[in-house]
Amino acid sequence: MRSHFPAAALLLAKPPARQDKQPVPRVPSSSPARPGGSFCKGWTLLVLVFLYAPIAVLVAGSFNASRFGNAWEGFTLRWYGELARNQPLLDAAWNSLVIAAVTTVLSVALGTLAAWLLHRHRFPGASWLALAAASSLVTPEIIMGVSLLVLFAAFAVPLGFTTVIIAHTTFCFPFVMVAVQARLAGMDASLEEAALDLGATPAQAFRLVIAPCLMPAIVSGALMAFTLSLDELVVTYFTAGPDAQTLPVKILGLARVGLNPVLNAVSTVFIVTIAALVVLGEMLKRWRAVSP
Amino acid sequence: MIFPWTSADDSSRKHPTSPRAWLLLAPLLGWLALFVVAPTLILLAVSFCQRDELGRIVWSFTTENYARLFDATYWNIFVRSVGYAALTTLLCLVGGYPVAWFIARQTEPARSRWLLLVMIPFWASFLVRTFAWITILKSEGLLNGLLQSLRLISVPAELLYTPGAVVVGLVYTYLPFAILPIYASVEKMDRQLLEAAADLGAHPFATFRKVILPLTRPGIMAAVLLVFVPAVGMFAISDLLGGARVPLIGNVIENQFLQARNWPFGAALGMVLLALFALTAWLGFGRKRGAVAS
Amino acid sequence: MKTFLTFALTAALTFITGCGKRGPELKLLAWSEYVPQSVIDGFTKETGIRVHYETFASNEEMLTKLLAGANRYDVIQPSEYAVEALIKAGQLAPLDAARVPNLGNLAPEFRAFAHDPGNKFSIPWMAGTVGIVVNTELVKEPVNSFADVFQEKYKGRIIGVKDSRELVSWALATLGRSCNDVTPETLAAAKPILAKWIPLVKVWDSDSPKTALLNGDVWIGVVWSGEAALLWQQNKKFRYVLPAEGAHRFIDSLAIPVNAANADGAHQFINYCLRPEVSKLISDAFPYTNPNAAARKLLSPEQLANPASYPPDSKLEIFRDIGKAAAQVDKLVTDLKNAQ
Repeated sequence: MRSHFPAAALLLAKPPARQDKQPVPRVPSSSPARPGGSFCKGWTLLVLVFLYAPIAVLVAGSFNASRFGNAWEGFTLRWYGELARNQPLLDAAWNSLVIAAVTTVLSVALGTLAAWLLHRHRFPGASWLALAAASSLVTPEIIMGVSLLVLFAAFAVPLGFTTVIIAHTTFCFPFVMVAVQARLAGMDASLEEAALDLGATPAQAFRLVIAPCLMPAIVSGALMAFTLSLDELVVTYFTAGPDAQTLPVKILGLARVGLNPVLNAVSTVFIVTIAALVVLGEMLKRWRAVSP
Repeated sequence: MIFPWTSADDSSRKHPTSPRAWLLLAPLLGWLALFVVAPTLILLAVSFCQRDELGRIVWSFTTENYARLFDATYWNIFVRSVGYAALTTLLCLVGGYPVAWFIARQTEPARSRWLLLVMIPFWASFLVRTFAWITILKSEGLLNGLLQSLRLISVPAELLYTPGAVVVGLVYTYLPFAILPIYASVEKMDRQLLEAAADLGAHPFATFRKVILPLTRPGIMAAVLLVFVPAVGMFAISDLLGGARVPLIGNVIENQFLQARNWPFGAALGMVLLALFALTAWLGFGRKRGAVAS
Repeated sequence: MKTFLTFALTAALTFITGCGKRGPELKLLAWSEYVPQSVIDGFTKETGIRVHYETFASNEEMLTKLLAGANRYDVIQPSEYAVEALIKAGQLAPLDAARVPNLGNLAPEFRAFAHDPGNKFSIPWMAGTVGIVVNTELVKEPVNSFADVFQEKYKGRIIGVKDSRELVSWALATLGRSCNDVTPETLAAAKPILAKWIPLVKVWDSDSPKTALLNGDVWIGVVWSGEAALLWQQNKKFRYVLPAEGAHRFIDSLAIPVNAANADGAHQFINYCLRPEVSKLISDAFPYTNPNAAARKLLSPEQLANPASYPPDSKLEIFRDIGKAAAQVDKLVTDLKNAQ
């Protein structure tokens, strides 16, 4: 389950040791072992139509000559031209990427650590710890934003990249934690014990046995963290100084002035750029795998 | 333990706390103390305070903010918010489970590509995506156009600014947070179990109910947590797609900070939400520990 | 991991070096997209002062950011009632008129507001009104008042700005009360009117009410004049009327907080924005009412003819600070929206 997508491509430049710990024979799709195989495929395609319908509308809007996007008035590249000249918007897009990348790393580290330690060790008050970590899931964004603002103000921390990243990590790492905990539950503990019996240190056991097992959960957690951070608006609003305005904050402002096709253009560029980064990362990895 | 997956494992296998474990735990503890516990305590303090004319906090004790909560309006709004969140969670689970299942059964690298395909739409900004939904749902919009050209309806249907539009927006926003954790837990399921069930003549539906569902329960619970809990406090979607007609608890909280200049009351609402979450977690998950472990 | 670390490190270095660029700076806290980039660039070019533009979306949000004190701002952009509240709380630095010679460009009627007589603490940036916009293709009857808008026959076709105090002020206007007369008694009197109006409304939107009107989902509504002006630019079928019962005018202003680090630069910025040719840039971007008499002379006839930007004189009132009563207003509206 080597991952080939963005956060993961960035994260996992070094591939995890062994992936398929339990080799399973692939069964043909008609086999009864894959109940509802074609139903699931059809359903997945339907869900993708649901997911992509607005994206298609959005991309089409970026090429629509109509200022308010009410009807198709012809093809244009005008909005991309305007985007290229809009330096603050481009800066904001870059800020978003940087913040999301750093947040993802921190969230994966903290979230995996939290899930593993809570799973593996008995701590006094461990359930309180889990509750505290998960409480940021339930705290409405506005409350989190305001309370962090008050906190930073109390310690005279100037607002900027650091404060946004701290805020984002605080609400993103529980997502990683929850995903990893779900994977850890019922994981065969004898695997680790076997590794330890065979003379591995606990660190080695974690790195060589546990981490590869957890990788799908870590990757899905990382994806959630990256996506959440990229798209967060309210908390960022209160914790970003003037230098660290992110794309959603900027877009909110622009949207106030009117539905603007430049916003569609920037979203299109954003999707394409990240997808390109992913493909590039994948190619790099393949190339490295081939060359010794 | 708060979560089923932390309680499900045999606690006798857990290692006692070593100095090394404490050392590893330190950064986590530090982070939680500084950026989760400290702000929460500040808010807790604020929720018992008063405010001045300008909306600044006056540090004098009052329980008035909590007393205000015993009001039928807020109770109604809260129940409605929970209803929306529950419906969203249900639809996300039903919609997301087959997708997670399908993706988990792929081999690499197709699996990663499918996952990526699910996530890409969410890198377009939330607001731009939501505006795209408005383009689809508005009365002269694409969906109405489609339905009319198929002669399914004669006059444009009222789609936008309805509770239905809010639910569509909520499901759209939270679907990946259902798919991903379920995917992670389906992926690790031992496929030989399914074959065994089939060999023993189990009907696919029975296999699903008796074997698959229990095995992927941790993933489902994680999905419920990641969808339901944030959905309760959501406010932007009900504003944009619902026309802000019926308030949800997220809107009420937002108003305290951004309109009414009443932080203490907003903080009190936030505290209640937190307390209810803790209570649900304890009732729903913690007490079932015995059943899960067996 | 290596690739990622390199990426993170590069990113970290990027913003550390970014912070290293020192020089005169101006921290501006203003409404989203309300200060055109051309104005900021022109100011930086002329003075060498780099402008950091941070945005807010409501006066209350601005107060939150300002009063938390995590960042110190040099110029802020509050509306009239927020100016008043900030003056009362001693949060604004008095303007040094000698350093703002362009003050004389302001039209006289924008220099004598009750919330800040004589512009001691603030200067108007742009002014606007809240009035009725009508899609005349779909609504044939004349609409001149709030009473004309909130009728059963338009049920589900009405939009209003999502702002509790605005909404209550409309009901107060139909009662013949001042929009600043917010007491438990007047709220009780307004309640039955609002209870009738609220279920008729299809959408509440403060950010971009023009969207629903352009889309044809609603036909009629009460919106900011700037939104109505944009609608009129788009299509002349959208007519803007100031309600006969009386309307509310808002004055977005510039002011300097007491703890500004660069008060000198702040004065320079305010004076720069008051230049006629600079002020014109603002009007070009945002079709609100320009308070700058010298700048209005530079506007095109089309701009001046926009009825939403420059409405005929009528009964206009500004919001005064109502302090804690804001919470009662919010509660009333929440109750009524919930009860429908």
